[in-house]
Amino acid sequence: MKDKIMMLVFVLVLGTILTAILVAVNYYTTPVISRNEQREIQAGILQALGIPFPEEEAQQVFAGSVQARQAGGKDYYVAGEGAVAFAYAGSGLWGPINGIVALNPDLSTLKGVTILHQEETPGLGSRITEQAYLDTFRGKDFTSGLKLTPPGKAKAANEIDAITGATLSPKAFLQILNANLAASVPAIREGEKQ
Amino acid sequence: MKQSPSLKVILNGLWKDQPIFSMVLGICSSLAVSNKVENAIAMGAGVTFALIGTAVLIAALRKLIPGRVRMIAYMIIIATFVIVVDRVLKAMFPDISRAIGPYVGLIITNCILMGRAEAFYVSNGVGLSLLDAIFNGLGYTYTLVLVSVIRELLGFGTILGLQVMPLSFNKWVIMAMAPGAFFVVALFIWVTRTLAKMDPDKQGGGM
Repeated sequence: MKDKIMMLVFVLVLGTILTAILVAVNYYTTPVISRNEQREIQAGILQALGIPFPEEEAQQVFAGSVQARQAGGKDYYVAGEGAVAFAYAGSGLWGPINGIVALNPDLSTLKGVTILHQEETPGLGSRITEQAYLDTFRGKDFTSGLKLTPPGKAKAANEIDAITGATLSPKAFLQILNANLAASVPAIREGEKQ
Repeated sequence: MKQSPSLKVILNGLWKDQPIFSMVLGICSSLAVSNKVENAIAMGAGVTFALIGTAVLIAALRKLIPGRVRMIAYMIIIATFVIVVDRVLKAMFPDISRAIGPYVGLIITNCILMGRAEAFYVSNGVGLSLLDAIFNGLGYTYTLVLVSVIRELLGFGTILGLQVMPLSFNKWVIMAMAPGAFFVVALFIWVTRTLAKMDPDKQGGGM
């Protein structure tokens, strides 16, 4: 009987001490972690909007040049000249993809796209994160939906080249963008009219 | 010549009972995060830290831990240190934390920690346990780094993010993916076991 009580006391005491350690660690790291996450999103927004910024000063540049607004429950961000950026998310080929997409002031062509997180095949699908590839989205007209074409065949204003050897990741990526643009842009247009 | 206990512990951790090729422990994580040297170093450091914390605490409490709940005690002690590692990585090195993602949390189930706790820390003093933890951690880390050097070099053409291979080098995509890890880790175990003249039939394996 005494053994059992000792066992219980031991487990309780050890559990309490270890929990206290975790609470302390959590208390000290939470603000730093949320600051990191925020900085990452802000840097993504600046990058998508094509606003140059030094790595350490993303927050100051963000505060100085971007305004946060909301329309239809969707947060979006407006830069000085009327360009708009918002966060998108969806399922890629192998895992979630999310990031920031920016629109030109006309709200019907793309200004830029950044990817914050993806789990595509390294060296193949993950090439969607290469700046050279994301640059091909610039100025594309998304009003009738972005369309994937075989590598090197993109001509029309809504066509995007696929990547040789990795067609499915760009395909999933375009689906995500199309779905997010269709869902959010009408509300943003309404919001910006006012 | 008779080896002193501490020297024996050091040699065991680095070579004779080296976690990966001798005990075949910690294989999951060594397969998963060895695609880049940077990740391997971070993972090695994380495991070593968690191992040291676990070793010291379990060795210090070894006379108090009731036999019937010792596994639970190991588990919560390990979990605590692993969560600390995860939080610190997230706060200080967000890029690395994102790259190795869930595998930090999975250190909890890394058999090196549980295995060493049951086999060594619960029956040895704090000093020896600390030494054992440091050198098992180093043994794990150097294996990961060796594997990741091969994988990053062939899979990305870089080492620690620096371009090493000529730009025209045709990257071996398989090396950057999980199957590449199986090949390299298997070769590593083969070579080191041959060098150490180890007979697998006489030894048990782990996970």
